[in-house]
Amino acid sequence: MASIMRPSLLRQTPASTRSLLLRQNVGVSQAVNFHASARKQILPPLPQSIEGTMNDPAPLPKPSPVHGSYHWTFERAVCVGLVPLSIAPFAAGSLNPVMDAVLCSLLVVHSHIGFDASITDYFRPQRVPKTHALLKWLLRGFTLTTAVGLYEFETNDVGITEALRRIWTA
Amino acid sequence: MASLRSTSRLFAASRPLFRPASFARSYATVEGTKNVEPSPSEKPNFKTFKVYRWNPDTPAEKPTMQSYQLDLNKTGPMMLDALIRIKNELDPTLTFRRSCREGICGSCAMNIDGVNTLACLCRIPTDGAKESRIYPLPHTYVVKDLVPDLTLFYKQYKSIKPYLQRDTPTEDGLEFRQSPEDRRKLDGLYECILCACCSTSCPSYWWNSEEYLGPAILLQSYRWLADSRDERTAERKTALDNSMSVYRCHTILNCTRTCPKGLNPGKAIAEIKKMLASN
Amino acid sequence: MARLSGLQREVLSLYRQCLRHIRQKPEESRGNFKRFARAEFQKNLSVSKKDFSTIEYLLRRGRRQLETYASPGIRSIH
Repeated sequence: MASIMRPSLLRQTPASTRSLLLRQNVGVSQAVNFHASARKQILPPLPQSIEGTMNDPAPLPKPSPVHGSYHWTFERAVCVGLVPLSIAPFAAGSLNPVMDAVLCSLLVVHSHIGFDASITDYFRPQRVPKTHALLKWLLRGFTLTTAVGLYEFETNDVGITEALRRIWTA
Repeated sequence: MASLRSTSRLFAASRPLFRPASFARSYATVEGTKNVEPSPSEKPNFKTFKVYRWNPDTPAEKPTMQSYQLDLNKTGPMMLDALIRIKNELDPTLTFRRSCREGICGSCAMNIDGVNTLACLCRIPTDGAKESRIYPLPHTYVVKDLVPDLTLFYKQYKSIKPYLQRDTPTEDGLEFRQSPEDRRKLDGLYECILCACCSTSCPSYWWNSEEYLGPAILLQSYRWLADSRDERTAERKTALDNSMSVYRCHTILNCTRTCPKGLNPGKAIAEIKKMLASN
Repeated sequence: MARLSGLQREVLSLYRQCLRHIRQKPEESRGNFKRFARAEFQKNLSVSKKDFSTIEYLLRRGRRQLETYASPGIRSIH
């Protein structure tokens, strides 16, 4: 049915637009309401607030290498370290508990940094101070729980690499 | 005389053969060349342009999308030509910034068909069936129609001290010289015209524009960090070394993709990160 | 008096800032400035108090106007 309908529809549209053009003879046509997104916005932008006058420079945050360059270097080091650590146990077949422990702790640190960055990006303390604090504490709680859980798993059970191997071959 | 006229006619006749018709056209409207080109069978090639409109004088009215129809055969090849023609002939109330019409001033930055670009460097897609949508730069406060408020952008530019800082004069009291190798480090940086296309395309800048500097400003910042004549490199580095100014960049690389001048702000930010890490 | 919303307080604070800046102006032109500031506010009396984005925009424009007119170079206004 649809396939029969379609050609006639196609033929109709250009004809109707042309007649519209001929009637108007001018290029301005009606204005349509503009909706970029849903009516109920999530976290709508705040009104523009400019600190100081137009000619003052925007204030830069206080320098703190711990949150800046050291943090970044540490994060990159963890990322790079994770690559060989996650390949080695499966490639070499060695089940060294020390290596397992290092892999686990790096995984926990890596995911903590990743989630922390997401919270800083999307829930800014200036915009939603309470949600920001809540999420930060929630993340700390989750990280701690994961760390304790992994420790238990490593000491009382088979360990993460062995568990993965068993799931893989099961 | 006759021979002269015949050669000129020959030239006029051969012109459409050798180059695309769009190059022969003048800037906004091709009214003047109409009598030169006979082109009897040229059908009007209408295209719809949908333009974001908002008038600050009636602030209670919501923004609208207004559509305009132009004959592409009578319009210049670029989006800016179309906009100027709309302003001249259809609707003089349409407001947009423009100045140089050749991509050197950065005034006409806007969002055309979903891409931040300079209207003067953006060709009108010749597909007449598809409409073109023109918006102001995304996530900016709008002043009017297609004019965004770039106050914060310029204030941030000022905050990185975009000028040569130097205390020691040269030995001979003349200008500060630079070796060709040092000068080459600034290639790909000094061309930036601060049109704000990259910054307003960056999701990180959308969410954190108050503190994150954004790709354009960071590219400028690197331009002064990389300058061999500048003596305050350490100071500039310390100023940037915090969690927000640089490190909100997550290498999304929208900036590099959208830059109408073909620069690479993403690489400049990576260089800044490298410089800060090697402290 | 009813409790004012954040936006209403911002509008009032802008008006107070205007009055404060007028005190920096030469005495003979203060009346002119005051009349002008009042007229600028009265122009938009009709805006609905629920139309937040409009009020936010007007505040933004008002602040900018205030910054311009507050410069000591401007001595009078007609």
